[in-house]
Amino acid sequence: MIDIRNLHVHFRSSEGTVHAVRGVNIKVERGQFYTMLGPSGCGKTTTLRCLAGLERPSSAEISIDGQVVFSSERNLMIPPYRRDIGMVFQSYAIWPHMNVFENVAFPLREMRGRFSRAEIREKVMRALELVQLTGYEDRPAPFLSGGQQQRLALARALVREPTVLLLDEPLSNLDAKLREETRTEIRDLVKRLGITTVYVTHDQLEALTMSDMVAVMDQGQIVQEASPIVIYREPKVRFVADFIGLTNFIKGSVHRAANGNALGEVQTASGLITCILPDKASSGDKVLIVIRPEDLILVPGAVSAGSGNVIEGRVSTSLFMGDSTEFRVAIKDTTLRLKLHSSTAMSQGDTVRIELPPERCRALMG
Amino acid sequence: MTSATMSHAVYGYARSALRSEHLWHWTIFIVVSLAVATPLIFLVLGSFSEASLPTQFTLSELTIRNYRQVWLDLDTYLVFYNTLIYVTGATAFGISVAAGLAWLVERTDIPGKLWIYAGVPMTLAMPGMLQAMAYVLLLSPRIGYLNEFLGVFGLGPINIYSLGGMIFIEGLRLVPTAFLMLVPLLRSMDPTLEEAAYMSGANPHRTLRRITIKLMLPGLLAVLIYQCMTALEVFEVPGILGLPASIYVFSTKIYSILHSSSSTPAYGQANALAMIYVVIAIAATWIYAKVISKSERFSIITGKGYRPRVTELGRGRWLASGLVLLFLAFSIILPFLVLCYVSFLPFLQSPSVAALRMMTLDHYVELWQTPLIGQVMMNTLYMVAITSTLTVAISFLVSLVIVRSKFWGRRILDQVAFMPHAIPGIVIGLAFLWVFLQGTKYGINLYGGIWAISIAFVVGFLAYGTRSMNAGILQIHKDLEEAAQTSGATQWRTMWRIFYPLMLPTIIGVWVWSMLHAIRIAGAPLLLYEGKENQVLAILIWNMWDEGNIEAVGAIGTLMIIFLLLVTLSLRMIGFGRGAAIPQSSH
Repeated sequence: MIDIRNLHVHFRSSEGTVHAVRGVNIKVERGQFYTMLGPSGCGKTTTLRCLAGLERPSSAEISIDGQVVFSSERNLMIPPYRRDIGMVFQSYAIWPHMNVFENVAFPLREMRGRFSRAEIREKVMRALELVQLTGYEDRPAPFLSGGQQQRLALARALVREPTVLLLDEPLSNLDAKLREETRTEIRDLVKRLGITTVYVTHDQLEALTMSDMVAVMDQGQIVQEASPIVIYREPKVRFVADFIGLTNFIKGSVHRAANGNALGEVQTASGLITCILPDKASSGDKVLIVIRPEDLILVPGAVSAGSGNVIEGRVSTSLFMGDSTEFRVAIKDTTLRLKLHSSTAMSQGDTVRIELPPERCRALMG
Repeated sequence: MTSATMSHAVYGYARSALRSEHLWHWTIFIVVSLAVATPLIFLVLGSFSEASLPTQFTLSELTIRNYRQVWLDLDTYLVFYNTLIYVTGATAFGISVAAGLAWLVERTDIPGKLWIYAGVPMTLAMPGMLQAMAYVLLLSPRIGYLNEFLGVFGLGPINIYSLGGMIFIEGLRLVPTAFLMLVPLLRSMDPTLEEAAYMSGANPHRTLRRITIKLMLPGLLAVLIYQCMTALEVFEVPGILGLPASIYVFSTKIYSILHSSSSTPAYGQANALAMIYVVIAIAATWIYAKVISKSERFSIITGKGYRPRVTELGRGRWLASGLVLLFLAFSIILPFLVLCYVSFLPFLQSPSVAALRMMTLDHYVELWQTPLIGQVMMNTLYMVAITSTLTVAISFLVSLVIVRSKFWGRRILDQVAFMPHAIPGIVIGLAFLWVFLQGTKYGINLYGGIWAISIAFVVGFLAYGTRSMNAGILQIHKDLEEAAQTSGATQWRTMWRIFYPLMLPTIIGVWVWSMLHAIRIAGAPLLLYEGKENQVLAILIWNMWDEGNIEAVGAIGTLMIIFLLLVTLSLRMIGFGRGAAIPQSSH
């Protein structure tokens, strides 16, 4: 449904030319919720704006629903107002000199096929109902709260029933509680309407909870593109492992390459660790073992260190997080973070044994 | 990056350079640069010419004799001296009063603060020319009313036709703008800086001396220099008060060289003198820019709302209120009353019961019957409308390029548009005099008419117009336009439905500011008009005064002040000009 091929974007800034997007390729299926996730400056917003037509790529082939909207080969660029899209901006971009009704009605008034006043009214009311802003039609737009303005922006983007919805970090200006509620609301809404959605955010929780597909971006390139579960469980590079959620990193080198079941052994400062190795790993390769804090298991005293993936260490800090407690345990050359139930009786200075389930340990090259 | 993508990037840029957008940018850039550069070039070239008329100027006859004459003339040094005394005095007087007022409203418990906040800036509604004229009526050595009053007590007459008189009046006129600049300074100073001093053992007096004033110094200096530049530039006050006594400052000297009744105008010499004037003005602008950039080091502005330490005046509050009233009286009440009074007199006489009994509306009636009054009012109307509209339109377009485009020359355009601000109005008038006179050689007959005055004004007003529009456009987040585009609106529709409505307050602000200034400035128009039928209001009033038609001046002046007061008042009520970010000049 959306096809972006070999997108390159250059900017001229005071420091010279910036290569903001470096050969990005994206395919979004019809009805899919596709998220671009990454830190500031990774190029995700630029990519979104190229899709919207607000930014001119240096080179690319972009098509939406079979129609080419940008082609550097054919020197073709369809301006934003001719693309069948709706867009929600990070700042909401609500027009202050109009009321709620007029803000939502604006796109309808700009459409070629003129609607009658009754039709406009019906469509606007329907859009407002979708976002639960019924009854606010006559209110001047600046007199809405942040959350209400965000919903207004959403209504405005959806009133034309576009085939594609673009959202540029729409939740970043909301407080935590509102963000949580709105996350599910947006996803349910677009799924119900069957609109193909492209979402940009730096918040990995949003990416994980809302998306069908996540593309993690860094420095203008897509580093890994997969479903939320795969992104979380099977990060391919350190950047992805680090950016999404909390991770533990243990340095080591391959001791024994993988046999049939893809598990191999890695020599680390804390002993041999059995874990999943990358495909082409061979003996002696430098690797980084990643394991999530919630996958680490506290071992009762009976099992001795050295059998299986059990490491001994000393508790250095404990942080009460409310729903859990995070423990930092110092081991040979690093510190492990554990996420345990808050009832766990462990305090600073205790010696503990931690097990790393092999199938939860993943080694990355480098 | 492959060479393919590289060449694509370059190709794309080259193509975009030819797009219509860029053509538009280039047009604005060239037009504005020409509009500003042409008069300046003529100014410089003309100073090297000894032709008796600007139309006879040729590039082949360049000489530095004008400069030699100017530098060797003792008169020039007298002008230097007078200007120095006048500017220093007016600035010192004006800033002191303004600082006092600002301190009273911001840091004491003086009663009626709201009135003071509203009242002080309102004094800007009084045109400089009329205020000077009113004070002549009060303090002219022979017939001044106040002098007569003082004479009763055996006190000597105060001569308003003096440097002292000029200092006093111009000083008063500098107060409202300086006040508007000092109040925010006082208001936003971080109180914790003073509190830290108290906690370190300093008493309020020492804190004031060692901390408060030192911190405010850069801001104070900036205000000081700005007001110096204003005093330096003004023509009307030194014109009315200095010319009759042959006390010349730069602005009036240039005028007198051109309008001398004893000798033919020495255009080249006027230019030479103007060049010196311009150099001083530019030096002041440069110093101002330096001070402004340094002052950011002493960043004391905080956004937090706070309660400042308020000094209690106790019984002193009556004295303070009295002083404020005195200022308002001198600034606007007294001059207005004098002009009003005079307008009702059959002939000039001191205030007395008999005089009051003789009051008549004759002069107002005569106004309607003045032969060219209709023409003059129409001229003024057209001139003001043309000036304001052109200023708004050009500033708008220029600011669009400066703020919103990626045009390579947009910074240069910004500087070029601002340059005329450093050039005194009378010099701009002189420069355009040359341009228009030269123009007559090619059949462009702009000299002498309303368009000449309008064009000179517009070029001068561009500096303020672009500052204002820049700020206005910056406030409109680009998001708002992009949202319109992604909602299906073309660029034109976006401009019409989103951008323009949000810019309306700024546009109206610039229009009204232009109107208020175009209507009262006399310097440049006096140089550029020719023929009684081409007068505008300011010129008419000047000429009436010159011809001794005082009562008519009173009548027309009273009406003018009422009009300006009404406009200023209604603007404040709608919300403009409150804590003006960009100060008005003091014409």
